[in-house]
Amino acid sequence: MKKYIALFLAALMLLSFASCGGAENSGDTSNAGESESADKAEFKVGAIYINSKNDTAGYTFAHHNGITTAMKQLGLNTETQLFIVDEVPEDPEQVRAAVDTLVGKGVNIIFGISFGYIDALEAAAKEYPDVIFSHATGYKSNDTNFNNYFGRAYQARYLAGIAAGLKSLETGNNNVGYVAAYGTEYAETASGINGFALGVQAVNPDAKIYVKKLNAWADEINESAFAKELITSYNCGIISQHCDSAQPQIAAQDANIFGCGYNSDMTADAPKAHLTAAIWHWDVYYKTAMEAAMNCGTADKFVSTMGSPAYYGGLKENFVDVSPLSENCAAGTQSAIDQVRNIMVKGEWDVFSGAKLTITVTDGVATITKNDADLLDNAGNVIVAAGGASVEDSVITGTMNYYVAGVEEA
Amino acid sequence: MRFHVVKRDSWPLWKRALAYLAAVVAALIIGAVILLAIGVDPVDYYYQLFTMGTVGNRIAYKTYMNYIKEFLPLVLTSIALSLAFKMKFWNIGGEGQFIMGSISAGYIALKFGATLPVWLTLILMCVTAMIIAGLYGLLAGFLKVKFGTNETLMTLMMNYIALYVLYFIGETKSDWNLFLQETSSRPVFVNFSETVAFPTIKIGEKFELNICFILTLIIGVLIYIYLKHTKHGYEIGVIGDSAGTAKYAGMKVNKIVLRTVFLSAALIGLAAAFKVGTAGVLSTAITDDVGWTGIIVAWLAQLNTGMIFIVSALICVLQHGSTVAAATFAQVDSSFANMLQGIILFLVLAADFFIRFRLVRVKKGEKNNG
Repeated sequence: MKKYIALFLAALMLLSFASCGGAENSGDTSNAGESESADKAEFKVGAIYINSKNDTAGYTFAHHNGITTAMKQLGLNTETQLFIVDEVPEDPEQVRAAVDTLVGKGVNIIFGISFGYIDALEAAAKEYPDVIFSHATGYKSNDTNFNNYFGRAYQARYLAGIAAGLKSLETGNNNVGYVAAYGTEYAETASGINGFALGVQAVNPDAKIYVKKLNAWADEINESAFAKELITSYNCGIISQHCDSAQPQIAAQDANIFGCGYNSDMTADAPKAHLTAAIWHWDVYYKTAMEAAMNCGTADKFVSTMGSPAYYGGLKENFVDVSPLSENCAAGTQSAIDQVRNIMVKGEWDVFSGAKLTITVTDGVATITKNDADLLDNAGNVIVAAGGASVEDSVITGTMNYYVAGVEEA
Repeated sequence: MRFHVVKRDSWPLWKRALAYLAAVVAALIIGAVILLAIGVDPVDYYYQLFTMGTVGNRIAYKTYMNYIKEFLPLVLTSIALSLAFKMKFWNIGGEGQFIMGSISAGYIALKFGATLPVWLTLILMCVTAMIIAGLYGLLAGFLKVKFGTNETLMTLMMNYIALYVLYFIGETKSDWNLFLQETSSRPVFVNFSETVAFPTIKIGEKFELNICFILTLIIGVLIYIYLKHTKHGYEIGVIGDSAGTAKYAGMKVNKIVLRTVFLSAALIGLAAAFKVGTAGVLSTAITDDVGWTGIIVAWLAQLNTGMIFIVSALICVLQHGSTVAAATFAQVDSSFANMLQGIILFLVLAADFFIRFRLVRVKKGEKNNG
């Protein structure tokens, strides 16, 4: 009996070796060579993700969705023309290895989605001048084949803030909670909190925003726990968030209050609580970047084709927006948001400027008035004097490290 | 139906090797079934995996260099762990010791890299990392010897202490923290690869062999001799078989345990110094999980130093190859490597069981003396 088993196993092994050998010829099609012509059929997209490409929610999912959507719009095949190395931690060596793998696959452009890839991508751009590198949330670039991209999420936050503010007027509860990954440590989180707070205050000047920090970009357990604490200890009637999961919205629903989500429309997660979410349309950037990469001829002309080493789209480009308003929203919310979006799209006004919007709703129709006013931080310092220009560039360069008046940490 | 487990007469080497190979093949077949179920051609997948995507790759030499970068810390850590395991001291703290070694080596590079000659900095990095990591491991050994604490739990928990120390360093911008870039508003580790890096030997046009590769080979041979042909090695073996016997034979068991645990942890520190001196930068993922994978490798290799090299080499093909294969197929992500590794480990351990024991059916009416 033993002999037969041994024989069977030996045969299996032989078979598996044979099949490996058989593939030798068919697998040898990945030879891309120096394909800089970027013909549509030969164009290859590479991406480095922090989490799994098979995620069904969250940050990596949002980017993956953006990349595949953009590729479909451009008529590219996401099965054969997209190469992804996923679950790459913010370790320069592992990022470089991922770049080597993708360059070995012959990709024309590599998107890196996590901030900590910054130095590795900068070095890789130098090592492979014939490949384009594009880094989300970073601030480094060169003037040939390396750019960065991010968005004016604070504009969408402001719109969500209007929805929250109108709801707070309706319920009569001026306390708004905000579960945030980080606070003033990162311009990304600080600008989101401040944009949202200014939106709330444009409707309800008496509103207070209480920020509870997770000190992590994703932490589902505390996302729920901190939301509950804001509700019970700070009597918050609305919960906003800057974190990965819908837990804060679910906590809001459990407490019969309301909330604003982030990253994706969370109405399905908390149908009775969710008002609207600030969301990203990453595909808008990915489409722009891929088109530029296909049309720029050689990789070194990518940045000049894009027009700038930093892409920073906002409402105008439809790169950020708010998700469709749920039926939980107060009357006149749509009208207010539409008007404010319109003046931002036109470039007539921006969030962090020396002009303040005052929004009032009567009979479901919003009226917006604009007055010059100092933009103050919560210590009373003047950030922008009345009438001054917007400081949104401090969000790009990462210097926004304060809360505006009316915001405090819980 | 009932079975008895009966010890086998030992099998010849070829038979054992065949059993292990069969386990690996069976694991790959299970993997193939899963791949088929999610619509991936297993032949294509395994082809990408085992060639690590080097066929038709214009920068294949990079693949080999990256492969060696993954291989060296793993093999050295695994050898170090096997020293402790031979003594039945369950050092689960490879991750923590590696991190402590990395932080120390990084500190030396950042503090003295600009002023001292490179070779001196590198030696200092290695020595400091060995001492700090060794002491970190020794702490668990000391607690065991002195108070009889469970070293598995101690070393395991000390992994997380080390990890959170590293997180703290990686996230706290402050004057004392020379690990982070001053110019970046977000915390980013300083890169010192321009000033401090292990030398490489150019082979062919582009491939560069890191000197650490040669050093690791030498260390492997030395540890083999240490275990097989020295008094120390003999003592480790005796304690592993029976601490009571060792004591009865007049060995100073505590001293030997402490000495060996220090050596084990120090070698992991050296692996960390090699890694940091090659990468030129710290990161919160600096260990690449070698402290965990090293345990698997040591067991798969049955604590045999030579086998550790072979098993490490194969595990690295699996890991690196899986990344390449996952990049090629949309349905498979990098986690597939972990799953495949798990199946292989499980089946090889099962094979190991059947190499040592056999199941005998207990016949009806026969007296059960078990």
